[in-house]
Amino acid sequence: MAKIGVFICHCGENIAARIDCARLLSAMDDHPGVSVSLDYKYFCSDPGQENVKKAIRENNLTGIVVAACSPRMHEATFRKACAEAGLNPYLCEIANIREQCSWVHSDREKATEKAIDITRSLIEKVKRNNELQPIEVPVTRKALVIGGGIAGIQAALDIANAGQEVVLVEREPSLGGHMAQLSETFPTLDCSQCIMTPRMVEAAQHPKIELLTYSEIEQVDGFIGNFTVKIRKKARYVDMKTCTGCGDCIQKCPQKKISDEFDCNLGKRPAIYTPFAQAVPNIPVIDKENCTYFKNGKCRVCAKACPIDCINFEMQDEFVDIEVGAIVVATGFQIQNTAMYGEYGYGKYPDVITGLQFERLASASGPTAGKIMRPSDGKEPETVVFIQCAGSRDPSKGVKYCSKICCMYTSKHAMLYAHKVHGGKAHVFYMDIRAAGKGYDEFTRRAIEEDEASYLRGRVSKVWQENGKLMVRGVDTLLGKPVEIAADMVVLATAITPQPDAKEFAKVIGIGCDEYGFYNEAHLKLRPVETATAGIYLAGACQSPKDIPDSVAQASACASKVIGLFSRDRLEREPVIAMNNEATCSGCWGCFVACPYGAIEKKDILNRSGELIKRVAFVNPGLCQGCGTCVTFCRSNSIDLAGFTEKQIFAEVMGL
Amino acid sequence: MSIQEQYRKKAAELLSSGEVKLVIGYGAGTTPDRRRPLFVRSADETSKLHLDAACEANLSGYLVTEGLLADRKKVGIFLGPEGIRSVNILASESQLDPDQIVIMGFNREAESVSALEGSNVRDFPAMLAALKEQAPGAGEQALVERIENMTPEERFTFWQAEFEKCIKCYACRQVCPMCYCRRCIVDNNQPQWVQTSSHTLGNFEWNLVRAFHLSGRCVECGGCDRACPVNIPLRLINRRMAMEVLDAYDHFSGMSPDQETVLASFKKDDPETFIL
Repeated sequence: MAKIGVFICHCGENIAARIDCARLLSAMDDHPGVSVSLDYKYFCSDPGQENVKKAIRENNLTGIVVAACSPRMHEATFRKACAEAGLNPYLCEIANIREQCSWVHSDREKATEKAIDITRSLIEKVKRNNELQPIEVPVTRKALVIGGGIAGIQAALDIANAGQEVVLVEREPSLGGHMAQLSETFPTLDCSQCIMTPRMVEAAQHPKIELLTYSEIEQVDGFIGNFTVKIRKKARYVDMKTCTGCGDCIQKCPQKKISDEFDCNLGKRPAIYTPFAQAVPNIPVIDKENCTYFKNGKCRVCAKACPIDCINFEMQDEFVDIEVGAIVVATGFQIQNTAMYGEYGYGKYPDVITGLQFERLASASGPTAGKIMRPSDGKEPETVVFIQCAGSRDPSKGVKYCSKICCMYTSKHAMLYAHKVHGGKAHVFYMDIRAAGKGYDEFTRRAIEEDEASYLRGRVSKVWQENGKLMVRGVDTLLGKPVEIAADMVVLATAITPQPDAKEFAKVIGIGCDEYGFYNEAHLKLRPVETATAGIYLAGACQSPKDIPDSVAQASACASKVIGLFSRDRLEREPVIAMNNEATCSGCWGCFVACPYGAIEKKDILNRSGELIKRVAFVNPGLCQGCGTCVTFCRSNSIDLAGFTEKQIFAEVMGL
Repeated sequence: MSIQEQYRKKAAELLSSGEVKLVIGYGAGTTPDRRRPLFVRSADETSKLHLDAACEANLSGYLVTEGLLADRKKVGIFLGPEGIRSVNILASESQLDPDQIVIMGFNREAESVSALEGSNVRDFPAMLAALKEQAPGAGEQALVERIENMTPEERFTFWQAEFEKCIKCYACRQVCPMCYCRRCIVDNNQPQWVQTSSHTLGNFEWNLVRAFHLSGRCVECGGCDRACPVNIPLRLINRRMAMEVLDAYDHFSGMSPDQETVLASFKKDDPETFIL
């Protein structure tokens, strides 16, 4: 016979203010099968849990219902208390009378009645619960890091330094990401490449890191501890094993006028190239789209120039399958195309550039070797106007959110400009200066006070060309006056957006993303690096706009999650999995088709002489994630979900 | 030679050559305008086979009789277009091997029947494609539209009145070639999702379950309609669901033995308009 214990938590005033706990308690006392019912101010507290354990032991309870907060909060706490008192933890149910009752209702009378219903329905369920044992699955101690920018590199290094294997995949020919494009970094003005390249080299040389550049993720299957990932290694047309990176091919390539993506189209590169001088690995790739040989079938100058025959025009994309236990997604960001601001003339006037283009102008490795020059005529600009929020915080034309880094890099740009062009004048149009961070506000003050950038609070309405100048019309809202500035160059602080293919990629790896394509974390505050898919973690700007310190911090947080996961040989999983009744299964394979995890297998039922009687579905407990898709599909009701059986759910519903 | 003679001869050949162990066709019924299923196992019995405009039933359901196809021997069967579609579905749901079925296909018109070219389910793609394009029968369409134009309350009253007649005899289930489950959900009493007694709630439950289980699978052979002893227009429900599935997923059931189960399969680029 069922002996159920009911524990009603007041949660201080959270529950007690809206629900008459004494009435709830007496209603539970009268419910058939209830042996003991108690209420307490905080059952999650140590003495509260002791009460639960004591009640279980003294009354030999066969199940308990804790009427309290959401099971997301304390289900684990009370399951553990059950286990300590000798009761199978899956004989514990949580009746959520806080989030789904007291917090959302104001009428005490009705809220109490609802709480009684909720608790009763869970009593009816727990009466039918079965003892379940956790499932153990092995963990592959190897991590996949997707993206070789600073976040990916940091995560890979941290995991590798803890002694675990890492595969680091980057889709561009070299590691580095956006950080490699930057000139100096705020708020310390240290050279970006100087601090970045040692990390890149360390990652490439690390014995625990397998580096796959110019490679993309094709497919991800499996689950935490046991992912199978298919990777496409794009054809470089250069043999990575023999190439020494001498660069002769690059020198000799007759194609020299291809827009250089790494230099944000400010410079030119050949068809066989490395993106930048310190590229890791320092092995060129052939840009098939622009290569004369691939276009016309004639040329092969690079092949002739190569002293050791590394060039292979017949090379094909290769596919490799790897097994990993955890995945860190660090796919980074892109900047928004500002074409929607026709009034700013980006794309129309060559001297209207983006912040990232300014980085390349200011960078010693850039197309101008660090000299600030106008793209149109190579002259040094005497006046530069910086326009902040050129896309960010603009729900009508751009994006709703703040891109977070622009206030800081615009200050940096104004500063670098002042340092490089003496006597040059920087004007910054801003909406607000958002400089929260260690040393950040001091940095922007330095740009204003020491480097004399003129900050104008207001928006720019129009940029046009007149007598060789770019005329900028805006408003200074602090003076309440329109302003017109004759500038030589205009720099737009464009919005940070997710990678253009972020939404499709989210589907490939099986994680969620927001309306823009930024990847969703499991909980914004308490689980900011996990995704809703166990075993997949987020680092850097693929989750939201982030600066370098934040990206690095999050990458290290990911690494600690991965290392924690790898600290055990086996992983305990909740035994909430599907089970099939082989007697009633008609083998229609609807479940086989519907299962997103490939957990359904075909099992032959044989008679004593080994002849096939029928073929039925078998649920592989290691692969099943307990999502219940097969249960809803099974027409004959043959599949059931342990812990949430139809019998239990039916009793729960009928208990209302 | 009439098609009846033609198929009698063909059935005799198939049986005497041993290509098939059995021919499922139509025999004389209780009255001249009715036909009933006939299982013919030897060539000299084939003269009992009939094929005319009265051959309405979709015989494909007999193919999944337990153990019938277990010996891997072939079976010949008289099938109309709906029957061919339901063999395709049964094959796609792994209930039979389509290459075990030798089809003697026919098309039924108002007063006569004509032969369909081909003997394997894969031989009829053009006929099936034409069926998909074809507008549903005019008379029925009018009734579907009349129900569509009702207010939700009127529609509810209409179906309530229809379902009130249901006596839960499950003839619709027994006749349906798609209802091959070894244990139907209504026979599961742990828990008893569908009330067994024939009152309004239980009747609604049963007919809704039936509608959902046949969505994207029903071939509209009309067997349920003909079998229903209290004349509930069951086919209309299935027609409505078929329209929905065609509209939402461009899915016309029973096009080929490799067709995907529409409600179980998903693609990465499926529209997700239902997710808020």
